[in-house]
Amino acid sequence: MEDIPPFHGFGLGLRRPHYADFLEGAVPVDFVEVISENYMVDGGKPLRILESVRQEHPVILHGVSLSVGSAQGLDADYLVRLRRLVERIEPLWVSDHLCWTRTSAHNSHDLLPLPLTREALAIVCENIDRAQEALGRAMLFENPSSYLTFPEDEMPEWEFLDAMTRRTGCHLLLDVNNLYVSARNHDFSAADYLAGLPLDRVRQIHLAGHQPGEIIIDTHDRAVCDDVWALYAKVIARTGPVATMIERDDAIPPLAELLHELDRARTIAGSCERSAAA
Amino acid sequence: MSALAQRQAAVLGAILDEDAALPEGWGERQARGLAIYRNNYRSALVEALRSTFERTERLVGDTAFARAAAHHCITHPPNGWTLDLAGEGFAETCAALFAGDPDVAELAALEWAMHLAFTARDTATLTPEGFAAATAKFGEHDWERFTLDLMPSLRCLPATYDLLRLWSSLAGEGEADLVSLDVPQIAVVWREGECPVFVLRPEREGRALESFRAGARWGEVCGTLAAALGEEKGIAEAGAMLARWVAEGWIEAVGQ
Repeated sequence: MEDIPPFHGFGLGLRRPHYADFLEGAVPVDFVEVISENYMVDGGKPLRILESVRQEHPVILHGVSLSVGSAQGLDADYLVRLRRLVERIEPLWVSDHLCWTRTSAHNSHDLLPLPLTREALAIVCENIDRAQEALGRAMLFENPSSYLTFPEDEMPEWEFLDAMTRRTGCHLLLDVNNLYVSARNHDFSAADYLAGLPLDRVRQIHLAGHQPGEIIIDTHDRAVCDDVWALYAKVIARTGPVATMIERDDAIPPLAELLHELDRARTIAGSCERSAAA
Repeated sequence: MSALAQRQAAVLGAILDEDAALPEGWGERQARGLAIYRNNYRSALVEALRSTFERTERLVGDTAFARAAAHHCITHPPNGWTLDLAGEGFAETCAALFAGDPDVAELAALEWAMHLAFTARDTATLTPEGFAAATAKFGEHDWERFTLDLMPSLRCLPATYDLLRLWSSLAGEGEADLVSLDVPQIAVVWREGECPVFVLRPEREGRALESFRAGARWGEVCGTLAAALGEEKGIAEAGAMLARWVAEGWIEAVGQ
């Protein structure tokens, strides 16, 4: 199984309102991330656009439907299509979420949280092994944002992720907004989380906006808030340079606005690097 | 069934059905979280249907469409990995819910076929020159027996309304231009380059296309047309149809 080559830089998610920007000119990003499922199709315009963008930028495939936490295992057709896309696009890496989306009967099309049990850990690791074997490469898995926890939980999420990376050789996509959202929703300390997480396995960071409230909702429909920026500074100071991107999926603004946010990530990361060097 | 499988079946059951009992051991805290997942589930599906069936929504209005979409989510909970297929069966849902307005289901079926055509397999189709080359060495017997591979995006749908007028009128915010056809036709949907398109054609042409899709041989299709139109006219019609299909780029290959 191929491991993931070192890569860091600053990127954006490729979303439909920005297709023309990416096709027409040079967009100052080091990589773009796409939702894998949008391109796991037989043919047509989406693949043509992705191939054009790929000629200018390294691409990361970020999935939402692998369902690595499903007790019934992975969908064989899904894996075949994902592998076909990987061979076609040759991405920097392939990522998905620590979550489940479906049972054998139905699909929620949402990233549902797992009970943090030894049984779930064994199933997740088995599914990750199968996915990595099918793709012939190590994958990244993202910490989820969640709105509920399970009474049967046997360990904190960071312990689950630590064991998962050790058993499967996978890497982590640390979504700093998700960490913030879950820490607030479930009343745990983000510092404890980071202390327990194998930060040397983090290969990418997501930053996004959320909807505040009694339960914070991970909406990706607004700018990154100051608290999440502050948490990002703490994370990047400990991980060192890691590929970082702004994730916006709703109320998508003009590209310039997202590039401005990305500059803020560059500034924070640069400042942490200078502090570390001093 | 493992404990995790049981838990996941109970959680998904509670997301799909708000009247379902809370999973075992859950209290108020989990119920509040579950309500968010239930809302996410419904809004994602309804949004996917809105995006696929834009014109159907304009035809029936926001409120009626929202009701139909919610009904479809309950009666057709998705089981595939892609949200792109959430609209599978929505035309049938519309046929049942708008039974007095068959134009709604007809338009929804057309939008679904256009949606599928958008990402259908890419293919090179036979040009008139390519078709001539493929059949250049045909003997008399070969002309009876050849088959046609139609382009993968091509679909035939029944049309009792002038769907071309209806489609254009619903492109913006204008009134729906709904006119019944004097004689039912077939809407042939395919992808031209990157854009799904459709035309209306006589029903017998649609039946001929469907026959080829099912593997019929040229001689069989000619025989059917000859029986309906008479020998001479039937053969002439078959030839004219084939020429149109090649010109439209609907033929991927000639088989034997």
